Amino acid sequence: VCGVNGRFAWLVEGGAGQDVGRSCILVSIGGKNVMLDCGMHMGFNDDRRFPDFSYITRNGRLTDFLDCVIISHFHLDHCGALPYFSEMVGYDGPIYMTHPTQAICPILLEDYRKIAVDKKGEANFFTSQMIKDCMKKVVAVHLHQTVQVDDELEIKAYYAGHVLGAAMFQIKVGSESVVYTGDYNMTPDRHLGAAWIDKCRPNLLITESTYATTIRDSKRCRERDFLKKVHEAVERGGKVLIPVFALGRAQELCILLETFWERMNLKAPIYFSTGLTEKANHYYKLFITWTNQKIRKTFVQRNMFEFKHIKAFDRAFADNPGPMVVFATPGMLHAGQSLQIFRKWAGNEKNMVIMPGYCVQGTVGHKILSGQRKLEMEGRQVLEVKMQVEYMSFSAHADAKGIMQLVGQAEPENVLLVHGEAKKMEFLKQKIEQEFRVSCYMPANGETVTLPTSPSIPVGISLGLLKREMAQGLLPDAKKPRLLHGTLIMKDSNFRLVSSEQALKELGLAEHQLRFTCRVHLHDPRKEQETAMRVYSHLKSVLKEHCVQHLPDGSVTVESILIQAAAHSEDPGTKVLLVSWTYQDEELGSHLTSLLKKGLPQAAS
Amino acid sequence: MGRGVTGLAPACLRASQLELFSPGAPGWPFGDFHALPGRRLCGRPLQIRQVARPGAGPEAAEGRGAGLSSLIMDPECSQLLPALCSVLADPRQPVTDDTCLEKLLDWFKTITEAGSSLLLLQENPCLLGLLCHVLKPQDLSPRVLAFSLRLAGMLAAQEDCFQYLQGDSSLFVASAAGQLLVHVLGLSLQGPAEGHPGLQTGDWPVCAQKIVSHIEESLRSAATPQITQALNVLTTTFGHCHNPWTQVLWVRLSPLVARLLEKDPVPAAHSLVDLLLSVARSPVLSSSSCGLWETLAQTLSHLSPTQAGPLALGILKLQECPQALRAQAFAVLLQPLTCVLEATAQAPGLLDSWDGTGGASVTVDTLLASKAACVGLLCRTLAHLELLQPLPQRPSPWPQAPLLGATVTILRLCSGSATPTSDAGGHLCAFLVGCVRVQRAALDFLGTLSRGTGPRELVTQVFAVLLEYLTSPDSSPTVLKKAFQATFRWLQSSPETPGCSDLDPHAQLFLRELLPVLPKRLCSPCWEVRDSGLEFLTQMIGRWGGQAGFRRALLASEVPELTEQLLRDPESYVRASAVAAMGQLSSQGLRVTPASPEHPGGQQKSLLAELLHILSTDSEGFPRRAVMHVFTQWLRDGHADVAADTERFVARVLQVASQDLDWEVRAQGLELALVFLEQTLGRPSSHCPYAVTPPVAAPPGPLAQALRPLCRVQLFEFAFRALFDCDRPVAQKSCDLLLFLRAQTASYSGPQGSGSVPEVASVEAALQRWQAGDQGQPLGYLEPEVVVAVLRSMDLEGLRGALAESSDRVEKSPQSLLQDMLATVGALGEDEADCY
Repeated sequence: VCGVNGRFAWLVEGGAGQDVGRSCILVSIGGKNVMLDCGMHMGFNDDRRFPDFSYITRNGRLTDFLDCVIISHFHLDHCGALPYFSEMVGYDGPIYMTHPTQAICPILLEDYRKIAVDKKGEANFFTSQMIKDCMKKVVAVHLHQTVQVDDELEIKAYYAGHVLGAAMFQIKVGSESVVYTGDYNMTPDRHLGAAWIDKCRPNLLITESTYATTIRDSKRCRERDFLKKVHEAVERGGKVLIPVFALGRAQELCILLETFWERMNLKAPIYFSTGLTEKANHYYKLFITWTNQKIRKTFVQRNMFEFKHIKAFDRAFADNPGPMVVFATPGMLHAGQSLQIFRKWAGNEKNMVIMPGYCVQGTVGHKILSGQRKLEMEGRQVLEVKMQVEYMSFSAHADAKGIMQLVGQAEPENVLLVHGEAKKMEFLKQKIEQEFRVSCYMPANGETVTLPTSPSIPVGISLGLLKREMAQGLLPDAKKPRLLHGTLIMKDSNFRLVSSEQALKELGLAEHQLRFTCRVHLHDPRKEQETAMRVYSHLKSVLKEHCVQHLPDGSVTVESILIQAAAHSEDPGTKVLLVSWTYQDEELGSHLTSLLKKGLPQAAS
Repeated sequence: MGRGVTGLAPACLRASQLELFSPGAPGWPFGDFHALPGRRLCGRPLQIRQVARPGAGPEAAEGRGAGLSSLIMDPECSQLLPALCSVLADPRQPVTDDTCLEKLLDWFKTITEAGSSLLLLQENPCLLGLLCHVLKPQDLSPRVLAFSLRLAGMLAAQEDCFQYLQGDSSLFVASAAGQLLVHVLGLSLQGPAEGHPGLQTGDWPVCAQKIVSHIEESLRSAATPQITQALNVLTTTFGHCHNPWTQVLWVRLSPLVARLLEKDPVPAAHSLVDLLLSVARSPVLSSSSCGLWETLAQTLSHLSPTQAGPLALGILKLQECPQALRAQAFAVLLQPLTCVLEATAQAPGLLDSWDGTGGASVTVDTLLASKAACVGLLCRTLAHLELLQPLPQRPSPWPQAPLLGATVTILRLCSGSATPTSDAGGHLCAFLVGCVRVQRAALDFLGTLSRGTGPRELVTQVFAVLLEYLTSPDSSPTVLKKAFQATFRWLQSSPETPGCSDLDPHAQLFLRELLPVLPKRLCSPCWEVRDSGLEFLTQMIGRWGGQAGFRRALLASEVPELTEQLLRDPESYVRASAVAAMGQLSSQGLRVTPASPEHPGGQQKSLLAELLHILSTDSEGFPRRAVMHVFTQWLRDGHADVAADTERFVARVLQVASQDLDWEVRAQGLELALVFLEQTLGRPSSHCPYAVTPPVAAPPGPLAQALRPLCRVQLFEFAFRALFDCDRPVAQKSCDLLLFLRAQTASYSGPQGSGSVPEVASVEAALQRWQAGDQGQPLGYLEPEVVVAVLRSMDLEGLRGALAESSDRVEKSPQSLLQDMLATVGALGEDEADCY
């Protein structure tokens, strides 16, 4: 698809629409193939949850075809298919991610595996051992560190905000480069900073576009709203359930509640299920440099991730009387502890469930968010949901303003939008094209986009040719480009510029002469020799700067141009001038012919 | 598209796919009527039963649609469907979720596969309405259009009524359309061409002719994507249809395919290879004389060495194939290795005899052209040979020795220890030195080659190069892992000394050099290396732990001590592997107990206590799970530390495991409980511990006495709690255990204790509270009689049935899907696009 011809091709799998898609993008750049993210789709319970790798395997074995895999962050829609891809489909090459992603990714994969195996029909799922073996193939990278994947391919990570350890990646082969943003956030939040990239002017920027048309209200408003709702529920003696995934948003909400509880001096207990706080604490402490300035500053006095008010949850606590707030996994109420607590509390209108993220179809979370209040449970039981149901989006994606800001920062030649909804992407595409005057693409699932680039290709020049150029006496001057004639030889993927004589010699070719000829009719009753003489005199007077000669055989030459006069076979009053010239004198040849066509001056006659 | 999907002619119900029953009649599969509502057809109550049995049907085969198992549409769904169809047909109500449409298709598929697609259309005219509606040009979302197309294709593929296909070239862009074309081609020819194998394409139905000429046009095209599409359609066709008409098709198209080979470079080489292989695999085509083998031979010589590899491998995998072609194919695979041997001034040996068809210079050119080309070709070659090696149809004689020689040479070139003697060798050396990709591929292949034997000096070289890699500070973690794996395989394959079940002296010698290397790896700063080292160690002990030579070498090294230290590794994966390794060491009596002169009075913590500590305190699941595995194994093997006081051990472990947050630890606790139960009741472990079959001979002694140890270790409290565990696998396992136990108790002689009624009632009440989700008070000590009475009163079978259904069974039902899709319309706001 590409290589020295300078074309990119990429293929976008998943990520379309308002569902939690599988991010998986294949980029071919300068002859190298890189897979960006390897996400899974939470909405399916079969192989369709993983990207269709046959797109790649039809090009041969994965390990041979791909030069590397890059994972942008630990969310499952970006890394969930990784063990399947490496251990079940059989990719054996390197996988790059940042250090926090490397630490957290296996925890989420393990968490998800356990939920999946917990259900029926999930036998063909990756195992703990596979997760471990997959993680052994990971090469962790630091921010702004240029990592040489091989002699030609290099990658570099930039801070992306969004979640702990999230990164944007620049992929470079020779003079060609692509930037892949993964998910990113251009405004700092409670625990993370804003995404940043330097003016790297890539040929292509692949950016997520989840909020392609949205200008989001300030996060503060949403936070206030969240706290108000929790506070109200607790005040009226209700229990609040917040289903979350183990790591990420949960920590942000914990910081929020912890601070609020402290300020308001609230007494109702807050619990976090399954002992994950401990682990989260560990990683947030370990990767404190990845959090935002405020957290880093206050770290010395107080670690924001050591919560005074948030305690580990025990199953028995759910029956305790009085108000409480519980963070429980998993986040979509589809299994395990969060679902168990939900069933206990759903019947009481004083209670509340707050869904802080998207829920896929087929989960209880999806049902209650779409307004269903009578849920059929196992054994034809009907669970009536009387508790208050709230949805609060806390996802940290860049909004339209943020995306434009990033395009402005990186100054790409082309932009490609992924991970968004077609109609909204169309709007953003127009805006980007208008404002930045760059081409913007939005390929559908499985679609390949090819983009021409102008790569610089090194060409070797023969010493002989250079010497000859020098012999003309002009010294090289960087500011004055000069025209150099030669023959370009392409052999063994090498390019060399040599003199045409050398090229002929090297390639064992004979030289051919190419001459143009033309007949000009002149009204002249005199003899041929006289006509030739008249032509000679005329040209001699007109073409003063050229060498005009009258040869003994009666023909006339001007440089390489040869003119002979002949009698007309039918009309004795007309002479025919036969003009011929080489292609090097093409210009002079045509000038001369047009001169002769005008006839000879009368004065001489 | 307008004329794309028309003419759904009436089709007969296929009786063979329906089994008709009258309720109550013999064979009536369902207990009560409401479980599967009946349908009136032809005035008689009929039930349509799922023909495909669970686990054997198309769902299971494809692993799809597990949740949508209802094969006929129940009235609730029929009522919801029209509303949904009108939503789908309305461009103003966008469907926001692809997965719902996919799941909807799954459901329709299960219905049509049960043979009732016509019924589906007749009873749900809204579906036909939807299909007709989407054919009108309008601003319809591509999702709904794609959905409708696929639905139409699915319905059409079911019936013999797909009459026309519009030859719209736009159909040809996506692979889905290609699939549809194959379907249609196959269906259109089922009738006419089947009876007359000699029928030429000119006499084929119009739609088939259109498809064929479309494919021809594409093959003649100058655009590679179009050629690729055409080749892919043909690959699918020849792969799926083995009717005589495919031969007619191939005869007509093969000249066009052959013409592709004349182009330089060959366009869509991968797809071309796939097509040729699918033709070669087709029983209809490979047996006929249609120039297939010549085309394959020609292709092998035309493609570049890199492109020819997959074709060569495919040819060698064929069951039937001319010998000359096989030789040519094998030569293609061997050529790069021959070049390597020649470049390092070694006799290629047997490889020479396979390699007689030229093309060597092209291979040398590729190998020496650039680093990327060299690495790519070598990796592919090694991988292909690795796949070929274990196959029964691999070429014979198999050049084991030269292949070993070449692989060892490649590994040496990579490590820089080979001395090149020629220019080509120098080039190779420069390309390969430090190349991790080639190292990995070569080590994998080397491991595979351990299945065959080799001359003594070559095996010595193999061990030497492995040792070099295991010792080298330059080996990357992934390379080390492969080196460990290859080493284990070679040690495993080395012949045992006759008369003595020890390693042969050769391997012994190697081991003596290897064991000093291992400590360095166990102290590596990379957790990957420490872990791979431990995994290797565990394998080694498992295999040779009982052999004197190995034991001596191991005990003389620092390995056991270091392994114990790794129980406190900061990385949980390593801790888990250390637990497994220590468990093995201890089982084999290889754990170093502190020698009393050196540690006077130093009371070392027993390993049992150490592992119990890990089980109760480790923050990660992996080490805790590993401990449970070790404990179960120890109990099974009668490990000395366990046998000292088995009851105390079991009681303690169960108590800790029951508190664990990781359901896999709790499930493993049940496994341990089962082993104890089997040992206590005197029943030897059978292959299927849950098989509810009466024991062959009833063990002696009254029941109460036999059950008492189980009561003392509080096994029942643990099992009853697990029965109502919120994680289904735990509950299932417990249910199986209790069912097994109940079957066991039934066979006991003596008074069948019924227990005092009030006590039984109070236990039952407690269990009911647990089931309701209330954790409540512990049961405390239970008398065996009470346990037996409770066991008998429980509906364990019913519970097992309920547990067998997935926890989200209700949410996955078609009705739930339809409700969700309808509920979502308009409910989601602007900001709903989200990510977790």
